[in-house]
Amino acid sequence: MAHHALNLSARLAGSTAIGVMALALLTAASDAAAVERVTIVMDPSAAQTNRAWATGGAFDLDAVYQRLIGNDPETGEYDSSGLAESWEANEDFTTWIFRLKPEAEWHNDWGPVTSADVAHSYEIQTGPDTLATGVASLRGGTAEIIDDHTISFHFDEPKMDFDFANAGRGSMYIYSKAQFDAEGVEGYDNEPAGTGHFRFVEREPGRVLLETVQDHWSGTTPDFNELELRFTLEPATKLAMLLSGEADISVIPRELLGDATGSGMEVVTSEQPSKQVVVMPDGLYMKEGDPAFNPGLPWTDVRIREAMNRALNRDEIVEALYDGEAEPLVRYGMHETHEGYVPELAERFEAEYGFDPERATQLLEEAGYPDAFEEPVIPIVSTVSPGSPEYPTMAELIQVYFDSVGFQTEIIEMDWASLGALGRGREAYVIHPVQNAPIRPSNVALTNTFLEEGSTYHGYEDDALTAIVEKMAATIDPKAREDLMREAFTYAFENYTDMPMVSLHHPVAVNPEAIVTWQYPGVTSNGLSHWHLIDTVE
Amino acid sequence: MPPPAGGVARGSGRSFGLASRYPLVPITILMIVLVIPSFFADLIAPHDPYAASVPNRLEPPVFAGGTWEFPLGTDRLGRDILSRTIHGAKYALSISLVGIFLGTILGTAVGLAAGYFRGWTDRIVMRVVDVSFALPSILLALALAAAFGSSFEGVIFVVVFVLWSYFARQVRGEVLSLRERDFVARARVAGAGHGRIIFRHILPNVMNTVIVLATLQIGVVIILEASLSFLGIGIPRPTPAWGLLVADGRALVVSAWWVSLIPGLAILLTVLSVNLFGDWLRDRLDPKLRQR
Amino acid sequence: MSKFFLVRFSEAIVALWAITVIVFALTHLSGSPVDALLPDDATPEQAQMLIEEWGLDRPLLVQYFTFLGNVLQGDFGDSLKWRGQTAMGVVLDHLPATLQLGSFAVLIGVVVAVPLGVLAAARKNSAIDTSANVLALLGQSIPNFWLGIILVWLFGVTLGWLPTSGRGGFSHMILPAIAMSWFQIAALTRLTRSAMLDVLDAEYIKLARIKGLGERAVVWKHALRNAAIVPLTYFGVLAGSILTGSVVIETVFAWPGIGWLAIEAIRGRDYPVVQSVVVVFAVIYILANLLVDLLYAYVDPRIRR
Repeated sequence: MAHHALNLSARLAGSTAIGVMALALLTAASDAAAVERVTIVMDPSAAQTNRAWATGGAFDLDAVYQRLIGNDPETGEYDSSGLAESWEANEDFTTWIFRLKPEAEWHNDWGPVTSADVAHSYEIQTGPDTLATGVASLRGGTAEIIDDHTISFHFDEPKMDFDFANAGRGSMYIYSKAQFDAEGVEGYDNEPAGTGHFRFVEREPGRVLLETVQDHWSGTTPDFNELELRFTLEPATKLAMLLSGEADISVIPRELLGDATGSGMEVVTSEQPSKQVVVMPDGLYMKEGDPAFNPGLPWTDVRIREAMNRALNRDEIVEALYDGEAEPLVRYGMHETHEGYVPELAERFEAEYGFDPERATQLLEEAGYPDAFEEPVIPIVSTVSPGSPEYPTMAELIQVYFDSVGFQTEIIEMDWASLGALGRGREAYVIHPVQNAPIRPSNVALTNTFLEEGSTYHGYEDDALTAIVEKMAATIDPKAREDLMREAFTYAFENYTDMPMVSLHHPVAVNPEAIVTWQYPGVTSNGLSHWHLIDTVE
Repeated sequence: MPPPAGGVARGSGRSFGLASRYPLVPITILMIVLVIPSFFADLIAPHDPYAASVPNRLEPPVFAGGTWEFPLGTDRLGRDILSRTIHGAKYALSISLVGIFLGTILGTAVGLAAGYFRGWTDRIVMRVVDVSFALPSILLALALAAAFGSSFEGVIFVVVFVLWSYFARQVRGEVLSLRERDFVARARVAGAGHGRIIFRHILPNVMNTVIVLATLQIGVVIILEASLSFLGIGIPRPTPAWGLLVADGRALVVSAWWVSLIPGLAILLTVLSVNLFGDWLRDRLDPKLRQR
Repeated sequence: MSKFFLVRFSEAIVALWAITVIVFALTHLSGSPVDALLPDDATPEQAQMLIEEWGLDRPLLVQYFTFLGNVLQGDFGDSLKWRGQTAMGVVLDHLPATLQLGSFAVLIGVVVAVPLGVLAAARKNSAIDTSANVLALLGQSIPNFWLGIILVWLFGVTLGWLPTSGRGGFSHMILPAIAMSWFQIAALTRLTRSAMLDVLDAEYIKLARIKGLGERAVVWKHALRNAAIVPLTYFGVLAGSILTGSVVIETVFAWPGIGWLAIEAIRGRDYPVVQSVVVVFAVIYILANLLVDLLYAYVDPRIRR
């Protein structure tokens, strides 16, 4: 192509381009005036929508909506800080009755909260297209409105974790039926009314703005006027926003907390542990006659699984991945304050799981590794899961430990969804990290982890454990149930079903010039809640 | 993701002064940063690039208070940054060479065919080229990685995808004018077949352009690899590829800046020198590039 | 002229169609939205319900023709991830942010690179030439996400002059636009310089000099006016690379544009949104290049064959 110089066309093209740019400059909005506003920067929700049931983890409007059951800000235990003042189940857990607080009120003058709102919310959130977390614990019931402030749910089978499904980690926010009847679901999209301490103002890509409800029906009102949520994935950017004063609270990875405190910021932590992390030797479909069983996997042999555990130097893991700020984990799904806790396992841990590379190597020899296995190379998945920025480094560290005791390994990069697809296809023949966040009730954790119909991210199944867990799930008597839980945890411990890593609190970095403290228990999937307890500097 | 240095090469025939006056500077830097480490990494590197040592994690470089044990500091797992950066040269070089080699051959072949046969061949090829330009390569890479996982081969594929259409377009343009030249007409009159004309008469005349352009793509490829790693779809861990090292250390840019700075400097020096060298090469091999 | 336009237009449509086929195949190959959008503790039944609800169990070809049929009616479907919104709606919500940032980045590129290239050409081999060269090359030698993070820390935190991230006032645009245009400055400077060198050699410039016009007038008026066409043709490439560059830059600066959206959509296997993003990318790219082609055809009739 020859370039012939022609002034006209050059000018023409030039002015077009400049026109476009001028337009762009004009559309740039001007800064809003500073107000008494708390800005939090965190990872984006699963999706930016006001329809919480349509995402696998919506927390942008957690300060706007409320659930039936609340959580104590310190202990995390269920309390009446939600919309229900009390609730109870019948003896066999097939009927749950909730009594609503009569004083609870909707934002934007949609009136008082009634049983009809609850029945409506139950219906829209358990539909076939819901993506909500734990919806299986909600589904299957019939709502019966007893009076304006009393509602019951009837189930064909015992529903022992219905309270869990209606508290912090559950997905059942209560939406207004009056608004729905008047405006349809679009009303929720445009101007969602909740009952919480904050009222929805606006949502823009990357940002949600809420304002404090003055004289909230609960009697408590936060001491600031606006709550702004900003969403950013890049850790360095989130830290920069905190240090530059653009954000007052920043949800940053642990490894950056030191940078924050070094610059005069402070760290606030959830009152309770908010998650457990383990590395799962997945793909163990060992129930009799399961076609997905793959005998070529070295970790079908319990000695190999013990060797994997023995190879890990957990002190170093806590140091390298969590900056020393993590507690040891004894058993996935088991938690001191929950049902079925087995204290002896903690005592046995050092002897049976402790770091012992020689023992690991010896176990490999006893198991005939690598020759006895068709697929001796251990595939370690490096993945990125929301809220767990340490997973890739963890994969590298595990590889180092495994290699040093004689395993053959490879790291496989895989996104979290692809890993889920492997599990759903029952071919997750890989080793990967997984988390229990928040720490679920023991029965939920056990069914989730060890049953075929549980979460796709877990893959240890054998007949004995399945029998114990299924029996536990069908047992109503609290004592018998707890015994079965203990039995399940002990069995899992002795069979090295996974590699327990750590139990973690959920920290955030705050600017002490704006924030005094923030008490939250760590009972939601992203660890945060109790937004009205953010205490700002006077 | 940066585009191929397309606009740059297209008609940017003359090199700047620096390169032609000091061609030895970029060559020396390239030897030190890229070539020698690539071939002798095992001999030069003070440590095993994969050997972790948690107690020594995030040690600063010696000039920032560290020790000579780890002259340029250590990363999150206590691995020696110097050794990892040295070994990283291998991957920078092999991704560039393999990716550019494949992309160049494919693009040149297609460009030769389009420019020489014209008509429908040309029309179809150029539309495919258009499609390939209009498909955002980053999105393609993301979708591929989601489908097949990220791998060395995947990165090479993306490199080839980005480069081939660019080469096809450049070579086609060159061939279009070459085929009208006297020596081609003479060959045709003398009874030479298409194959002979293309390989004996036309290809040698575009070779210099191709070599110059290919050299200039080394920088593009290294930066591309870094962008892919930033998105988590680059060379898989624990391979110490430069882009991965920079991307991995970016969160620590304040407290442990050396983790990303050192491999970043390796990228900077390499790309800078490759481009200076490419400019110089262009002047030597293809001074008429701009006068097409 | 109109025939030329018609041919180019129909070719563009065919190219767009081909792109939808490729993207459709690729996204479906990359996995199911069910795995990406469901929470970790979802049960297999929950997944199965959604698969049926979204029609993902139908044969791929059927799904493609359903998609194509909808597209022909201007409907890219509803987003799977951003529920309650149409896929195109989600994209159009995020598009202004990207266009705003992208055009500002182009503006910076032009304002910096063209004078730099002209100066470098006018004072060939001078100190200006050398520094322009080094500056230009530096732009191409740093991964842009890294540059972005360093800019955030230098100007956002250490000096505190500019906001670190997010979309807001004019000041919010400066850092991401610089990070985005840095690479372009390099390319454009070199391009302008070499175009200027060509023009400065031309007879009419020599003539102008002989006629006694001042050097400044010769360079900035006569030569630049004629050389400007070269960097302008680069506009098409620029448009494409700004869009792809936005994917990385928007992540670093939390700029809520379609680059960021594209990543989220692919990670969520939100097929309708992925399709829409790619079609919008492609349309912008094709339009930009069509514009350049048409300008060219207008300028140089020989191209209209």
